[in-house]
Amino acid sequence: MSAASVADAQLAQKRRRNALDAWLRFLRYATVRAITLGLVVVVAVYLTVLIANMGGKVDQIRLAQIEEEIGLSFLGNPQVQMMSVEERAAYRDQLVQLEVKRLGLDQPLLVRSFRYLKQGLTLNLGRSEELSSDSGSRQVRYILLERLPATLLLWGTAQILLFFLALFTALFLSGRYGSIIDKIVVALAPTSAAPGWFYGIFFILIFAAVLGWLPFGGIVDAPVPDNRWEYALSVLRHLVLPTAAQFASGLFLLIYSWRTFFLIYSSEDYVEMARAKGLKRGAVERRYILRPTLPYIITNFALLLISVWTGGIILETVFNWPGLGRLLYSAIHLYDTPVIVGSTVLYAYLLAATVFLLDIIYALVDPRVRVGTEGRES
Amino acid sequence: MKVRISRIVLLVVMLSFIVSAGSSAAVRTGAWVDEVVFVEETDPNKAIARIEAGELDIYTLGIAQADLVKQIQSSPKLDYEISFGSYNELTLNPAGPIFDNGKLNPFAVPAIREALNWLIDRDYISAEVFGGLGVARYTPLNTAFPDYARYADVIRQLELKYAYDPAKAKEVITAEMQKLGAALVNGKWTYKGEQVTLIFLIRPEDERRQVGDYIASQLETVGFVVDRQYKTSAEAAPLWNAGDPKLGQWHLYTGGWTSTLVNRDLADNFSFFHTKRGMASPLWMAYEPDPTFDKVAERLSNGDFSTADERRELFAQALEMAFKDSVRIWLNDRISIWPRSANVTMATDVGAGMSASWIWGLTIRRDEGIGGKVSIGNTGMLVEPWNPVAGTNWLYDNMIIRGTGETGVMPDPFTGLYRPQRVEKAEVYHLEGLPVMKSLDWVDLTFVKEIKVPGDTWVDWDAKNQQFIPAAQKYPEGLSAKTKVVVHFAKNLFTDVKWHDGSTLSMGDILLRLILSFDRAKPESAIYDESAVPDFEAFMQTFKGVRIIQTNPLVVEYYTDTVALDAEYVAEDAVYLFWPYMAQGPASWHALALGIKAETAKELAFSKSKADLLKVEWMNYIAGPSLNILNRHMEAALAETYLPYAGILGKYVSADEITARYNNIKNWYASKRHFWLGTGALYLDQVRTVEKIAVLKRFEAFPDAADKWAGFSSPPIASVQVVGANQVRRSAGANFTVNVTFDGEPYAVKDVDFVKYMVFDSRDNLVLVDEATAVKDGEWRISLSAADAAKIPIGTARIELAVSPIAVSIPAFGNIQFVVLP
Repeated sequence: MSAASVADAQLAQKRRRNALDAWLRFLRYATVRAITLGLVVVVAVYLTVLIANMGGKVDQIRLAQIEEEIGLSFLGNPQVQMMSVEERAAYRDQLVQLEVKRLGLDQPLLVRSFRYLKQGLTLNLGRSEELSSDSGSRQVRYILLERLPATLLLWGTAQILLFFLALFTALFLSGRYGSIIDKIVVALAPTSAAPGWFYGIFFILIFAAVLGWLPFGGIVDAPVPDNRWEYALSVLRHLVLPTAAQFASGLFLLIYSWRTFFLIYSSEDYVEMARAKGLKRGAVERRYILRPTLPYIITNFALLLISVWTGGIILETVFNWPGLGRLLYSAIHLYDTPVIVGSTVLYAYLLAATVFLLDIIYALVDPRVRVGTEGRES
Repeated sequence: MKVRISRIVLLVVMLSFIVSAGSSAAVRTGAWVDEVVFVEETDPNKAIARIEAGELDIYTLGIAQADLVKQIQSSPKLDYEISFGSYNELTLNPAGPIFDNGKLNPFAVPAIREALNWLIDRDYISAEVFGGLGVARYTPLNTAFPDYARYADVIRQLELKYAYDPAKAKEVITAEMQKLGAALVNGKWTYKGEQVTLIFLIRPEDERRQVGDYIASQLETVGFVVDRQYKTSAEAAPLWNAGDPKLGQWHLYTGGWTSTLVNRDLADNFSFFHTKRGMASPLWMAYEPDPTFDKVAERLSNGDFSTADERRELFAQALEMAFKDSVRIWLNDRISIWPRSANVTMATDVGAGMSASWIWGLTIRRDEGIGGKVSIGNTGMLVEPWNPVAGTNWLYDNMIIRGTGETGVMPDPFTGLYRPQRVEKAEVYHLEGLPVMKSLDWVDLTFVKEIKVPGDTWVDWDAKNQQFIPAAQKYPEGLSAKTKVVVHFAKNLFTDVKWHDGSTLSMGDILLRLILSFDRAKPESAIYDESAVPDFEAFMQTFKGVRIIQTNPLVVEYYTDTVALDAEYVAEDAVYLFWPYMAQGPASWHALALGIKAETAKELAFSKSKADLLKVEWMNYIAGPSLNILNRHMEAALAETYLPYAGILGKYVSADEITARYNNIKNWYASKRHFWLGTGALYLDQVRTVEKIAVLKRFEAFPDAADKWAGFSSPPIASVQVVGANQVRRSAGANFTVNVTFDGEPYAVKDVDFVKYMVFDSRDNLVLVDEATAVKDGEWRISLSAADAAKIPIGTARIELAVSPIAVSIPAFGNIQFVVLP
């Protein structure tokens, strides 16, 4: 074996060892990240359980509500009317105990809290304590899943459209800094100070109450059209105003924000160089501005996709939209811990998985990110 | 000639159209409208805008916000109904006078509690806080219910005695606080060197926030420091109701209550609100009423009186002693406005509003015409499973449910009295000496010396052997009851009354409903439900038995120890036990059979409580995972011609009926995708639970004419005007004319129970009470003879009068002032 081939073999071996080391470092990194995120999820869910129960105060509230509700049912009840004080108290206690047992309030919160945690983490979301799903089921997964399509439809449509429209408009404006349209967008950016539901109220007033062009709210006409196409058209009509409200609230600020971001990149030397070389504007935007900013855009997009899972309480209420936001509000109002935990754990898992995937993708594709001994993750 | 013939033909065709149109109007059965659409609308502002825009016709939420009410009243496109069932009071903590934490509780002293009546200006609260949508209330009796009018003279004197008088309040409070050892330092009460601070739990969700603030300010004027704690229902309940009053966590609480119907007998209110016999919570257990008051309240509660005069005497005592006790200060009755389109009408319960009306489906109408669609906005709907046994009790869903069903007797929305729907008549027998009266013709009331329960009367249920237990077996020594009711159901019951799937009502429906009243509470039953036990035990305390006398026409007997002021109420108890409309909806035997099979198999449960215990779904006849399970059991039931409780039902239900019923519901499910059946004038055509939409359509096979419940679209609340001389000589007397009208038309004499007048002198002393004399429809006369006039001191005086109509529970009031001359 020649010295050269020995050197080649050693080099190859070193490369293999380096590659193996790199994979091992990567695996170690991925494992640590996964464990860290997993722990964060566990802590976050358990904190949710404790917060949802106000550290045990909710038990007192619920017991008081049970007693009040049962006591109220005695008013004007002819059967109770005939009872003595002692009989009445015994009857009340009997009813209260039944409800306490049904809700599991006869067990200490500590025991229940770990049951809630286990149910949440294993995605066996269990049964609700107060809420029923729209179709009447007591299973938390049905309660959440029945509302999910409406939420994804509204928030997904609005947020994705908003995201891409803002992104490409900003990219367009970044090359036209100081133009009239740019100035208009900058001037309109403060309109985002008002939330979507605020615009929603005005839109309902104008387009539903005064002009009568669009419905006041809801997700579909009543009676519900039998024909699938008519149904889809009806849903689209109902989607217009809540989507428009979100656009009115978010569009200009988002454009302004992306535009500023792109402007920073568009003044980099290599972009100036590309322009000096005579590349077309579109090519410069795609290759020299959009590409290096892609990780940031992907991160934003991924987080946006998760955010659509949560819905929005007030906008959904304003438009009578049967989404997860209103559901969560009801669950909080009724102290329905399993539903609150179910909703939170889904979001926590999605967020953790997204963060994990983004970290992996960055580690794999972004040359500025280093893992293990060769560098610290940035 | 040809032209003439063609004209004649044309004329004949036109006439036939007119005749057919006229006859179709005459024979219209069931609902006036063809379709009722329910949609969810949580925002009252938007609901009103939607009615104005023509997108909704009715909104089923009682509105009390003054600005919204003004908007409704000023819009030509809107009209409204009113209800009077909600009321507010101030709950006081009576523990002490020294709490466990060593602090002073002034409200442990009855005199200080009583003095608060003078400290609070109820008229201010009604006029300013509620923008006129409130009526000042001083007593435990709702001002819109019959007992208030019945005892108006007694109450009016007390109202005058306890009218707003802050100086008197301050005087009493000062004296009593000093007796407690408190001292006024720099205008603030102190006790053992510490300021007396009152913890006031103020509910911030509605007008009670302003009411609380006003009362707190008034308390500050008499030297108290008030710690205003704004707490929601959930935050306040552990303190005021569930907490131990002796701990001193609160002194005052802004209470609010709601009636779910017109309550014709308020005798229990004294016991419920002022003695330990209320909600049985720690607060109520802290009540220590005067023993005499406690006894009077108990006698009223138990109906321990035998004549109207005796009842009146007890009420008079209780009303006065309630002020002396004053563990709560009554503040005001609220008036709620229920908005609707100006061209749509519907029967509304004057006690509890639109959503509580039992006959809304039979009376809802557009443009006083026939057909068409009505859209109803519901503040929250389809929130829980529907099943007739123990399904949702959500008020707004129950409105929809009631539209799909009917009960044997239905409550009159204006008086609360039950009127017959599927009953010909009822004979009510009471023991002599019981204070019972009757108002309507369908009930015959007889007093007897003794009521023996026959030996073959069913008095209980043997769940193991699935048969009723006769009285002779359970009570060989014999059994007696206080009340017996014989109900004669309609002759066409088993021919004309149809379920929505086309099945004809049968004895199977009647008997299964009856059996389920017992079976679910028996541990030996396959569908035993421990949550049914407490109510069953309470029921059995007064239940004495039932007997089926004949099946066609159906005649039944009911024995009980229940006593109600109105015989119609006891008759309703009897009808309720047999009529297949259970606690939460209409219940055909074949639809119930599916649920019984599913619960027996532990796959579903009728009640929420049992569903949670078994970790199965709460049974839902209209949507969700329950449907597949019920469908599977339907197929099985059809295949095996299953009949629940066959030992009893088998004597009345044929094999053909079993097969036909299951085929009917199978076809129904294939068409509608739900199992909800009723006998009401509307059926559930479409239900979308996520979208929160329910569509009801007119049931063409409903047997009754659409105008059966005509006249219930608008409550005939009387208007009163008193006309007379402004000067009365004591030596001559005087006449006054009372004009009683409704919508400008004279009120018929036969429709008025009484017109009672009270004469007060310038110092608000009651001088005279009497009833006015009817002259003609719409006109009554008050004749003050010279002898009467001589009783009135010289100076200003006034007549106040109360008119109590028969057709509506709400009394009307009027007054006139005059000067008495020598």
